[in-house]
Amino acid sequence: METTKLPPSSPSSPTTSFSVPSAEKVDGFPRRSMRRARQRRSHSSSQFRYQSSQVELTPLPLLKDAPVAELHDLFCKKLQQCCVLFDFLDCVADLKGKEIKRAALNELVESVATSRGVLIEPLYPEAIKMISVNIFRTLPPSENPEFDPEEDEPTLEASWPHLQLVYEFFLRFLESPDFQPSMAKRYIDQKFVLQLLELFDSEDPREREYLKTILHRVYGKLLGLRAYIRKQINNIFLRFIYETEHFNGVAELLEILGSIINGFALPLKAEHKQFLVRVLIPLHTAKSLSIFHAQLAYCVVQFMEKDATVTEFIIRGLLKYWPKTCTQKEVMFLGEIEEILDVIEPSQFIRIQEPLFKQIAACISSPHFQVAERALYFWNNEYILSLIEENCQVILPLVFATLYRVSKEHWNQTIVSLIYNVLKTFMEMNSKLFDDLTASYKVEKQKELKRERERSELWRGLEEYEERRMQMLTEAARNQRNLQERGERGDPLSPTCPQTAHSDQPEPKPSGATSGETAT
Amino acid sequence: MRDLPGIDSLLLKKLKVCCAKEDSVLPRETGLKLMESTPAENSSGVSAKCRDSRVEELWGLTTFFGYSTQTFVQAVNLLDRFLTLMKVQRKHVPCIGVCCLHMAAKMIEEEADVSPTHELIRISQSRFTVSDLSRMEKIISEKLCLDPKAVTALTFLQLYHSAIASQSAGREEIPSIGRLEAQLKACLCRLVFSKAKPSVLALSLVAQEFESFSVMKTVQQFQKHLKISDAELLGWKELVAECMSAYHSSQCSKPDNKKLVWIVSRRTAQGLQSCHFSVPALPTIPERSWNQSQSEDSGEDTSCSEESPCGSLGSDGEGTFFPSSFHHSRD
Repeated sequence: METTKLPPSSPSSPTTSFSVPSAEKVDGFPRRSMRRARQRRSHSSSQFRYQSSQVELTPLPLLKDAPVAELHDLFCKKLQQCCVLFDFLDCVADLKGKEIKRAALNELVESVATSRGVLIEPLYPEAIKMISVNIFRTLPPSENPEFDPEEDEPTLEASWPHLQLVYEFFLRFLESPDFQPSMAKRYIDQKFVLQLLELFDSEDPREREYLKTILHRVYGKLLGLRAYIRKQINNIFLRFIYETEHFNGVAELLEILGSIINGFALPLKAEHKQFLVRVLIPLHTAKSLSIFHAQLAYCVVQFMEKDATVTEFIIRGLLKYWPKTCTQKEVMFLGEIEEILDVIEPSQFIRIQEPLFKQIAACISSPHFQVAERALYFWNNEYILSLIEENCQVILPLVFATLYRVSKEHWNQTIVSLIYNVLKTFMEMNSKLFDDLTASYKVEKQKELKRERERSELWRGLEEYEERRMQMLTEAARNQRNLQERGERGDPLSPTCPQTAHSDQPEPKPSGATSGETAT
Repeated sequence: MRDLPGIDSLLLKKLKVCCAKEDSVLPRETGLKLMESTPAENSSGVSAKCRDSRVEELWGLTTFFGYSTQTFVQAVNLLDRFLTLMKVQRKHVPCIGVCCLHMAAKMIEEEADVSPTHELIRISQSRFTVSDLSRMEKIISEKLCLDPKAVTALTFLQLYHSAIASQSAGREEIPSIGRLEAQLKACLCRLVFSKAKPSVLALSLVAQEFESFSVMKTVQQFQKHLKISDAELLGWKELVAECMSAYHSSQCSKPDNKKLVWIVSRRTAQGLQSCHFSVPALPTIPERSWNQSQSEDSGEDTSCSEESPCGSLGSDGEGTFFPSSFHHSRD
């Protein structure tokens, strides 16, 4: 008989593999060159507890051969059979049993998918029970404590051969024409949904894919659970943002939310707007943003299309959380801004154009070429160009000085070309404004040069003054010594020597600009 | 000649000298007329529109590379003279334009400030090569006499302005030379103004700009001194006024962006191409649009009113939630 197997590793046990401590991970670009020499562990199963009294499965007759009277009973028995769990860590244990269960699951899937009249009321609790037993488990801690979702290969679920069929069954069950929400809601309750949501943290992407579709159907059909589901997703995200920064299923949940947001009724409820401001926007601060950024951006844009008044919240929020040191994120943010601008209403644009273009100007002057390029490429977007053209008077002064300065200073030649394109575009838009700004820019430059010259003049003068003063002091000291020596030798000369008299007076200061210094 | 009240005699002498030189830098009248009469759609000849857009391009490059206005004015002058002297094909005009700018820059700017030719070509997104450019340079310098100290409309403008400035010193705020330069640039973008003598063009600009100021007397004195007829001055002044009203109108015109080439690095291009989440895989779930009671927010299972089939509910009622086509959407 099998003994209970211990999990292969626990977080507290020393690992034998080599891993890069997180402090060395640089913000920004994934370091694909860092291939970690990890010991390949066998895939873990999330079943830690093994049923000691193993039930021997006997193959049952096929469903398709069963007479109609016995069909439901057989169905039930097969469901019960599938409640037995197997250990997939051990590849050779219970091969027969595993095969029986697999075949049974397959049959059940086929039956629900194709036949009508299979789902009768007594079957509901059995079906939900079988599903619960199989899928609800405590997810094992990640084998790799430093798991980086962007870089590393995920650990796959070992019992997938069975688990996949269970998920498939659940999905077909929900999608069956015979499915009765009113009956199902007794068994798919809040507790069930909560456990379902926790499974989204699975590392296995195939599992999350199924969960996503399943939750989507559940949300669609069981109206009583909708508010609860939204609330729990809220909690998951808030925990993710503010406490753990770890959750593998953010992208999938966002995908579901996307389809929910898309279906919002107008006017938007306050609850939804709060969700946007308190959860979706702060979600942009996550370190692993690249994993779910596409889905997040979609949600944000959907909100805008539903209700244009949220635009200001969104853009101000993004500007508040603008990445300061991570350029990879900055590029993502710029992409999102472009998507937002693509659908923005002109009246909303006017409200946020000033802070937005100040940020864009800052991006243009970024020494990182991808950030600058992405920002400059906005001018290649027809709709954005028309918005800029309508508000040329406000926008051009904000970016002009930056464009000019960067064109002279940037190291990257592609950037310089793009800046020329942008300047040329502005020139064609409003040549008078452009000329005015050029003229005032030149004047400013002249003033700056003049100030620079004056400043260096002042310093030079101070240095000279300092030199002269030092000379004077050393001379005075020397004279003083001479005097003392003479006095000791009994010289006829008087103690107060005319030479030394003037050394005590301060020399006239060099005239400089406004700095009013006092003699030390 | 007796001293005109107020105006420095030295300045007047300078004016006379410049006037004498200006005839040598005038573009040929016949050539200008030909350009004006060439229709814009003509694919081989050079039309006024073609020349004008070329000049605008030169202005763009001038400001971008930080060249002075004098360089620009000189470049336009070279361009006009060459185009009116030789019969050129339209396809060569870009090369000629850039070449004139480069030559003017070499004459006027400091050596360190002159941009190298390859940079000029790259920024202007021109299709010709550096060797094309130097060949063109040789041709142009052969055909035209190049004089760094050549007199342009800007020269006259600066002289006029300095005289007027000293006249009205402190008494009133007169428009700056920078403003006049910008206006001159705007005028030069139109072929018609190349017909005017530089001294006349500059004076008409000044006359138009300083109309409301008390220094108009000085302008009249200039006119008399240089023997410019009333009719001539008035005629050009009108044209200038027309040009200025178009220039000053704060109308933002939609730029023709299609001519510009936007080159980005490979990485950025990849990022741009990566498809965004525009087509969601999951179908939309409509929010209940009827009876927005608090029951949904309570989170509890409420009465069966939620599931009762209601005409306005749409998909939440009985029947399949999704059409059968979705049943087998799992891959």
